[in-house]
Amino acid sequence: MAPRRSTIRNPAAEAQTFRARAVAGFLVAAAGLTLIAGWYYKLQVVDHEQYATRSEANRIKQRPLIPPRGLIYDRAGRLLADNVPAYRLEIVGEQVRDLEATLSGLQELLGISEEEIARYRAARRTTRAFHSVPLRMRLDEAEVARFAVHRHRFPGVDVVPYLTRRYPYGELFAHVVGYVGRVDENDLRRMDDSRYAVLSHIGKAGIERQYEARLRGEVGTERVEQNARGRDIRTIAREPATPGHDLYLSIDAELQQAVVDAFEGQHGAAVVVDPRSGEVLALVSLPSYDPNLFVNGISVADYRSLMDSPSQPMFNRAVSGGYEPGSTIKPFVALAGLEHGAIRPETTIFSSGAFRLPGQQREYRDWRPGGHGRTNLVESLAQSVNTYYYQLAMDLGIERMSAYLARFGFGEPTGIDLPNEAAGILPSPHWKRMARNQAWFPGETVISGIGQGFWVTTPLQLAQATAILAADGERHPLHLLLASQAGFDSPRQREPHAPPQRVVDEAGHLAAVEAGLVAVMHSPTGTARAQAVGMDYQIAGKTGTAQRVTRRGDTSVDLDDLPFHLRHRALFVAYAPVEDPQLAIALVVESGGSGSRAAAPVARRIFDAWLQREAGP
Amino acid sequence: MKRAARFATDLVGRVLAPLDLPLLLMLVLLMGVGLTVLASAAADAPHLVRNQAIRFGMGLGALLVLAHIPPARMRLWAPWVFLGSLLLLALVPVMGTGRSGGRWLYLGVFYLQPSELMKITVPMMVAWLLHRSTLPPGWTTLGACLVVLGVPVALTAMQPDLGTALLIGSAGVFAIFLAGLAWWRIGLLGLAGVAALPVLWFSLREYQRNRLLTFMNPDADPLGTGWNIAQSKIALGSGGLTGKGWGQGSQAHLDFLPEHTTDFIFAVLGEEFGWLGVVLTLALYLAILGRALWMASEARDSFGRLLGGALALSFFVYIFVNAGMISGLLPVVGAPMPLLSYGGTSAVSLLAGFGVVMSIHAHRRFGR
Repeated sequence: MAPRRSTIRNPAAEAQTFRARAVAGFLVAAAGLTLIAGWYYKLQVVDHEQYATRSEANRIKQRPLIPPRGLIYDRAGRLLADNVPAYRLEIVGEQVRDLEATLSGLQELLGISEEEIARYRAARRTTRAFHSVPLRMRLDEAEVARFAVHRHRFPGVDVVPYLTRRYPYGELFAHVVGYVGRVDENDLRRMDDSRYAVLSHIGKAGIERQYEARLRGEVGTERVEQNARGRDIRTIAREPATPGHDLYLSIDAELQQAVVDAFEGQHGAAVVVDPRSGEVLALVSLPSYDPNLFVNGISVADYRSLMDSPSQPMFNRAVSGGYEPGSTIKPFVALAGLEHGAIRPETTIFSSGAFRLPGQQREYRDWRPGGHGRTNLVESLAQSVNTYYYQLAMDLGIERMSAYLARFGFGEPTGIDLPNEAAGILPSPHWKRMARNQAWFPGETVISGIGQGFWVTTPLQLAQATAILAADGERHPLHLLLASQAGFDSPRQREPHAPPQRVVDEAGHLAAVEAGLVAVMHSPTGTARAQAVGMDYQIAGKTGTAQRVTRRGDTSVDLDDLPFHLRHRALFVAYAPVEDPQLAIALVVESGGSGSRAAAPVARRIFDAWLQREAGP
Repeated sequence: MKRAARFATDLVGRVLAPLDLPLLLMLVLLMGVGLTVLASAAADAPHLVRNQAIRFGMGLGALLVLAHIPPARMRLWAPWVFLGSLLLLALVPVMGTGRSGGRWLYLGVFYLQPSELMKITVPMMVAWLLHRSTLPPGWTTLGACLVVLGVPVALTAMQPDLGTALLIGSAGVFAIFLAGLAWWRIGLLGLAGVAALPVLWFSLREYQRNRLLTFMNPDADPLGTGWNIAQSKIALGSGGLTGKGWGQGSQAHLDFLPEHTTDFIFAVLGEEFGWLGVVLTLALYLAILGRALWMASEARDSFGRLLGGALALSFFVYIFVNAGMISGLLPVVGAPMPLLSYGGTSAVSLLAGFGVVMSIHAHRRFGR
C-alpha cells in the first residue's frame, strides 16, 4: 500500500517510498534480464543444432563449374565448331541507382532494342537483386569499347566475358554439325538430366545433338565460402569440370565447299562417301541456314523467315528428305536379276517403247518414243531402258526383288550418326499390307523396277548403295565421326565402327553392272555422255529423273513449260575413278529437269574438284 | 618538491573524489568488452575501434565533469537545460541532417543529436517537477510530468526514431514510478495506454508497421524485413553454449548479420562467445544497474534520487529492448546496446548519465 498523499513534505517517507520502488524496479529488471537469458538459452543451447546448420548453409555455397564444350573438327583438323570468348552486358540490380535512366542511357549508347529490354525485365523479376542479369549477349568490339569509355556513368552495369559457340563456316555445315541453343523445357523433358539445370546450352541438331553426351563434358562443383552479397571469400573444395570431348569428323571442308559450289545455287542434296571406309566426306542440303543465329537465342524475325521460307532451309534433305529414286535404282535391280539368275549379262530384251502386262490395257512407256530396240544389260543401263527393267521386275517378282534390295539398305535408316534419319520406303507386298492394309498388284511390280511407285529413298541411302557398288560389293556402315579426343593433350581415339558386310558375292555381276554404269558416261549411247567430255578419268554413274507429273496416254508435256516446282527432280549416283573408286556420290537437284542434264554436271564438278586436288597442284 | 607532489596528489584526489570506484570499474570493464567485440565485428574497418575508444574517452570526460556538478545546481538549471534541449529538438525537423531521417543538428563545430540529450534532460525535468510537489504525486503533478514527457517523446517518434523515443519516455516514466505514484493510478494509466494503442498504430509510418507485422509473423517475408532477425537468430543460435571464438563469427564476418557493429553487435557477442558470454554480460549490466540504483537511493533529496534512479532503470530498457529485438523476442525498433554498439552519441550520453548518478552519490552528504 502506497503512503497516503499529504501536503506536508516528509523526506524520510519519500526516501522510504523510493527504496521500495527501487527494489521493485530492480526486481523487474532482474526478471527481465532473466527472461532474456532464458530466451537466449533456448536459441543458443536448445536449438543450437538447427541454427548451426543454417549458419553453415549460409556460408557455404555449392557452385557448378561449367565444362567447356568439345570442339568439332573436320578430317583435316579444320575447326567446324569453336568456343570463342564473347562479352555480354550484365546488370546487377542492387547496384543500380536509377534503373530507368540506366536502361535509357544504354539504349542510347549501344542501341539496345525494346525486345532486349523487355526480356531483361522479365528475367529480372525472377532473380535476386544481387545476382546479375544479362541485357545483351555477344557485344561486338566497338560496343565493348564504347561502353568502356562510358562505364563510370553506369554503376552496376558490367561487361562480362564468357564462352559462346561459334560456327566459323556459317551455313556450310549447318546440316552436318547442327547447332546448340539454350536449353528449353522440351530438352529438359527429353533429357531428364539434372545437368541441364546448370548447363545453359544443348545440342539441338546435327552432330551437336547426336554426340551431346560426349561434347558437353561433366559438370564440376566448387564449394566456396560466400558473404551475404554472394561474393566469394575463398574456395573450400573443388572438383574440376571435365571438358567435353573434341570430335573429328570424316567431313572434308574443302570438298563440302566444292559440292555447294557445284550446285551453282540450285536446291537439292548431295552425299559424298569414301566407299572404302563408309566415311562421309561431304553432306550437303541446300538451301542452308546460319547456325550461329541460334546460339544465343534467335530473333523472332529471323526465326519466322526461316520457318516460312517455301524452300525449307531448316529441312535436312540429305538425311530426312524422301525422293523417288527413279532410274538410279536400275543398277541394283540388275544385280538382283543376276543374283537370282533371271538375266545374264548378255541377255537381251526387246524395247518397243511400250510395255504391257498380259491381259491389261495400261502401257508402261520407255522415255524414248518408239523404244530402244533389243538391248543387253550394259545398253539397258547406258540408255536407261525402262522396258528391260519392267520385264526384269516381272521375271524376278516383287518378293525376291525387294528382299535383295533390302541388302543395300533401302527401306531402313543407314544408321549414320545424325539425328532424324528417314527410313524411306522399299516397296513390297509386306510393306503395303502393313502400311496401307492393301493387296499388291502386278502393275506395281512393273513400276517398282524403274524406281517409281511407292519408292522413297534418301540421298544418304542412295549414297550407301552406290558405295557398295564402288567397294566391290562390301557395305561399310556410313558414319561421320572419325575420332575423338578427351583434351588437346590426350591421344586421339579412333572411333570404332561395325565391320563391313559382304552384300554382293559374285565379282562378275558387279563387273557387268559397272560396265553399264561406265557406259552411261563414256559410251556414245550413254545418257550422260555429254558430261564426260574432256575427262581424264572414268566415272561409273547412273542418271535418274523422278517424275512429278504422270504422263497420260500419248500426250507428252514439254517440261520446260512447266512451273519450276513441277519439273522433275534430277538424280545422279556415281563413283570414280572406276579402277580405284575414291568417291561415291548420290545427289538430287530439285526442280532441275532430267538427271543427265541437271544432276550429272554437278557430280562432274564434284569429281573434278576432288581428283584435281588429289593429283596435286 | 614534496609540497608540489603532495599538491598534485591532492589535486588528482579532488578531481577523482566524486567518482564511485566499483561503478567506474564495471563501466570500464563493459567498455573493454565493447571494444573487444567491436574489434571482431569491424575487422574490415579497424578505424571504428579507435573512433569508439576516443568516444569512450570523451564520455568519461563528460562523466567526470558532471560528477563534479552538485545535484542542487543541476536542479536549479533543470528547467533551462530542458527548454534548451527541447528547442534544439524542435529545430531538427527544420534544419536536421543525416542519412537516416535527419536526426542530427549541425552546431557550427560538431553534430549533435538532440534526442540523445533528452535522455538525460527529460528525467531531470520530471524529477524537478516531482521534487517541487509533495510525494507521491497527484493528478496535477502527474499531468505536468506527462506533458514534459510527451512533447519530446512525440517529437522524437516523429523523426522517426521509435527506439530513442521509447528510451526517453521510459526514463521519465521511471522517475514518476520511483516517486511512488499510487499503484491504482498506474493501473488507470496502463488501461488508458492500451486504449490508445489503435491511435498509436495509425500514427506509425508504413515501415514501422511492417516491422511490427514482421515481428508477429517473421516467416512471411524471409528476404525482406524478416531477413535481419532471421540472420541475427542464426548468428546467436549457431554460437551455442561457448561460441565460435573471437573473430570466428561467420554470420558477422560474411555480412549475413546486418548492422553488426551497431544495433546487432550483441548478436556478434552471442555468436562468438556463446550463451555464457551473453549471460556474463547481462550479469555485468545488472550489477551496474543495481549499483547505480543503490547510489541513487543514498541521495539527500528526491530530485537526486528520482533522477539517478530513473537513469539507472532506463539502462535496463536499453538492454531489454536491444537484446529482445535482435533475438526476435521484441519488434525491431532500432535501439543500441549500451556501451557495446558502435556510435558516439549514445556512449557519451550514457556515460554522462552515470556521471550524474556519481554526482548525486558524491554530494549525498551536502545539504540543499
